[in-house]
Amino acid sequence: MSTEPAARPPILRIEKLVKKFSERLILDQVDLAVQPGEVVVLLGPSGTGKSTLLRCINGLEEIQGGQVFFENRPVVANTKNVIDVRKHIGMIFQSFNLYPHLTALGNVMLAPMKVLKESRAEVEARARELFRKVRLEHRADAYPGQLSGGEQQRVAIARALAMNPSLLLFDEPTSALDPETVGDVLDVMEDLAREGRTMIVVTHEIGFARHVGDRIVFMDEGRIVEQGPPEVIIDAPVEERTRKFFGSILRE
Amino acid sequence: MQFDDNVAHYWRFFLSGTMTTLWISWLALMLGGAIGAIIAHMRLSRVGWLRAVAIVYTEFFRSIPPLMLFFFCYYGISYALGLNLNPFTSATLALTLTASSLMAEVVRAGIESVGRGQWLAAISAGMTPLQVFRYVIWPQALRVCLPPATGVYISTLKDSSVASVIGYIELTRSGLLIRETTGSSFDVFLIIATIYFVINYGLSLCGGALERRFRIVH
Repeated sequence: MSTEPAARPPILRIEKLVKKFSERLILDQVDLAVQPGEVVVLLGPSGTGKSTLLRCINGLEEIQGGQVFFENRPVVANTKNVIDVRKHIGMIFQSFNLYPHLTALGNVMLAPMKVLKESRAEVEARARELFRKVRLEHRADAYPGQLSGGEQQRVAIARALAMNPSLLLFDEPTSALDPETVGDVLDVMEDLAREGRTMIVVTHEIGFARHVGDRIVFMDEGRIVEQGPPEVIIDAPVEERTRKFFGSILRE
Repeated sequence: MQFDDNVAHYWRFFLSGTMTTLWISWLALMLGGAIGAIIAHMRLSRVGWLRAVAIVYTEFFRSIPPLMLFFFCYYGISYALGLNLNPFTSATLALTLTASSLMAEVVRAGIESVGRGQWLAAISAGMTPLQVFRYVIWPQALRVCLPPATGVYISTLKDSSVASVIGYIELTRSGLLIRETTGSSFDVFLIIATIYFVINYGLSLCGGALERRFRIVH
């Protein structure tokens, strides 16, 4: 991909995005383009707008400036068009957000059946396959309340994949997990990256970023400070702020 | 004290009074539930005037004693609008006004109990607002609404006894008429009170069973 960067059009293009909460500036003129198949990891201190940036990508947040294009279609919150865009973007949340009244299988099957209007048999076959992929085939009939955090997050990943999305957004997927279950979730995410899925991941897992990320985007105070391959951004950053951030994290 | 056998001869009358009470309170609960649900969604709307209408409606009708509403719906509407409603329509209207204002708060609390994360997950999956409500929010809200909704039904059923003052022959009114014929106040009131208790305790048990049936596994 790095040999011919302009050969394919980006799947996602963000131009001069500005996001404010009342008067507070959260995102300040953010530009970002993501190529199909690319794994982009957003790193940076807490409260620098990384999660907000993800929510702007699928139109969960209204933006105050700039533009977001997904597969060349503008993403604008509170429009009919954005509902259609979301069918192609899977989102995984820090707090899983599984539907507690449905079984794990029910969670995975709901949107494909109701949003994509696919037949139950078709969706169930795909869902069972996805449970194998996230290594939970024995837990498909459990309710979310009966699953551990790591299991719930893997169900949430299966739920997102069931829509056959062309972009996956991960919003701190392992931050709410017990340390011993973090690895299971990261393994599944690594599998997805190897399959060539396009992913944008907000995380604090530097190891994952280094081994799985194609590109690291370092953000601070609502801006992209610098971006590039992991070995450059994590180990040899140019900017002082980036050096300070990784210096303090990697010393731990 | 001796039970007046005479009273027992009127069992058909007690029975029809009971059926009438069950029917009118059920009708009021259904209408009140539907109107209450609409009012609750108005209250949660982003549109300011819809919220205002909902707040005024809820606060007004739940603050007025049922007796006043029965008088208003029977005599008041006839006096003010020249519209003569029969006792059944007036009583149903009065009960529905109270029940809907109570149900509006029950439904609102149920919807607000569903966490923001549920909305985000459903919206992110490409659901339309109606699909979000239908498949994710309402099923969860319903479970929260069941216990207080049972309470609203019980209180609506009790309020329906006030319909006796506008001449509607439900259970209480039936009892009052039997008392006039037989002169046995204590026996009659004992029977009526027992019937109310059995119905309401039964409702309470049904509510509990429904609650267990729909419980979310945690």
